[in-house]
Amino acid sequence: MINLIRNEMLKILRRKRFAIVIGILVAILAVVSYAEYRQLKNRGERNWRAELQQRIANGQNFLRRTNGGGPWAKSVRAEIKRSQFYLDHDIEPNKPTAPMFVRGFANVAGILLLPLLVAVLGSDIVSAESAEGTDKLLLTRPVRRWKILASKLITLWIFSALTLLTGAVLAYVIATPFLNPRGWNAPMFNGFAVSTATFRPDVVRELPLWKDALIVYGLDWYAMLVVASIALLLSVLFRSSAGAMGTMLAALISGTILRLLASDWTSAKYLFVSALPLADFYTGEPPPYEGMTMTFCIVLLGMWAIAAIIAAFAIFTKRDVFG
Amino acid sequence: MTVEPNTQPALAARELTKVIGKRTIVDSVSFELRPGEVFGFLGPNGAGKTTTIRMLVGLIKPTHGSVTICGHELHRHFEAAMRCVGCIVETPDLYRFMTGRENLEHFARMLGATGEDIERVAALVMMAHRLDQRVGTYSLGMRQRLGIAQALLGHPRVLILDEPANGLDPAGIREIRELLRTLAATGMAVFVSSHQLAEIELMCDRVAIIHKGNLLRIGMVHELISSRRALELRVGDVDRASALLEERGMKVQRDTDRLFVDVEDNDVPPLITALAENGIAIYSARPRVQSLEEMFIDVTGGETVG
Repeated sequence: MINLIRNEMLKILRRKRFAIVIGILVAILAVVSYAEYRQLKNRGERNWRAELQQRIANGQNFLRRTNGGGPWAKSVRAEIKRSQFYLDHDIEPNKPTAPMFVRGFANVAGILLLPLLVAVLGSDIVSAESAEGTDKLLLTRPVRRWKILASKLITLWIFSALTLLTGAVLAYVIATPFLNPRGWNAPMFNGFAVSTATFRPDVVRELPLWKDALIVYGLDWYAMLVVASIALLLSVLFRSSAGAMGTMLAALISGTILRLLASDWTSAKYLFVSALPLADFYTGEPPPYEGMTMTFCIVLLGMWAIAAIIAAFAIFTKRDVFG
Repeated sequence: MTVEPNTQPALAARELTKVIGKRTIVDSVSFELRPGEVFGFLGPNGAGKTTTIRMLVGLIKPTHGSVTICGHELHRHFEAAMRCVGCIVETPDLYRFMTGRENLEHFARMLGATGEDIERVAALVMMAHRLDQRVGTYSLGMRQRLGIAQALLGHPRVLILDEPANGLDPAGIREIRELLRTLAATGMAVFVSSHQLAEIELMCDRVAIIHKGNLLRIGMVHELISSRRALELRVGDVDRASALLEERGMKVQRDTDRLFVDVEDNDVPPLITALAENGIAIYSARPRVQSLEEMFIDVTGGETVG
């Protein structure tokens, strides 16, 4: 099995798929950290208390204008309460340090970027073999088909972790020239129980940044495992890499748009894309649909992954391989 | 070649049948491969050759029938059966983005083959010098060689090659032919498919002829193909020559300036002497290799290929 995984890893590297992923990460991180730096420079001495008060005032104005209704009201209310909490406790939120940047990367990238990168890695892991005809050789070796597919799935999971790790390291390395590189122990406040839109300070957790970051990265990885499993299924179903990747990207992007726009259609909470931004939900962003608790999201994603894996294996081990 | 009658067949296909929808692609094909022989699988394109090969190596599940390789039933003991097989199915598709060596290492890891095996097979197909170049830069002939090298990595007892002469130049075809004969001499059973009669005739000991999914004939090559040769004679006086030969009881077909005579090799010299003695000018006399199409017309009793 280890040999099979080595083979699959070699193929991903030789196909330059991982190089593409790293390239995308570098480009995005460089742009974002430069923007952060410019913002910091323009602001000069930052009056964060005034900023927070302004943010609260803006939010309250918004709520007054919309009479407290509309799709954004819930998140605005949560934002007001969070800002108020920071003010009351004299904590500067999002103090831009390199560790904070690393932590923020996991939040922002977890929504769409990381799933997209997994889709890039995973969509052609089986379909490329059918498209290039190499499946005929791969499947006529004395190795059972389920082992071959399992090695591909595990390889994707490993590369999901590598992508995440690379992202974290790159975020830190790229941000260091612009931002303060220290501050791993800064206290973080998370878990505003916003899914019910009521502010409950008792569930707020206080964690040092590094621990908080580990949790967020863990959640991101879990979401990536699920995306990888679904990408594997699509890769089995489609004979062309373009078909598999196109479908995966369309699902991820349309799911994200749906999440932002159509929160009235509550059945959408059962879609895997709705539950993907686990890191965001953990940090305190309200989930898009009523009734989505953290446990619900994790279980939902797990079920999607298991269903996708079962389907992928059932199809892959049974089907006839034609030319 | 000697075939010991009691040896276990290297590969046995029994009543292999594939039905897709309502179409029967392969209909109850049975044959055995013996150790040490080169077995030809002859048929026009679309006859079901590749579907049969895909069933032999487990890519397609037969609707009916079974494959046994080295005593292992393919669908029950896939790994044990496939450990005995090296194969190329259809085109020799390898990973184009990797070098020849990386490809061989890739498949060696799946078999537990060693670095020595890689050197051995690379030397066998005479491509050690190109091994560190990317497969994407190879010609079809080079990929064919690399494919064969890959198939030989695990010391197979059965070698299955689909149209191995495709993309090779005449010198390359001769090399492959010699290689296959050498391998068969070591006791390997070699299975070669082709749609070209001449190729099969040169390479194989026995041949099976498949047409529209049905196995028409199995037999020794010289029985099935070589005896079905006609002599092509270009002569000065076609009328007199054909009358003369028909007098001698031979079957003659006429064309404007030539004759085709069904004749055994041994009867050719007296035939030519007789024509010469009767003062008929002979411009050329040569064996006319029957085309696959013509042979199918013979075997199927008039039905054309297609």
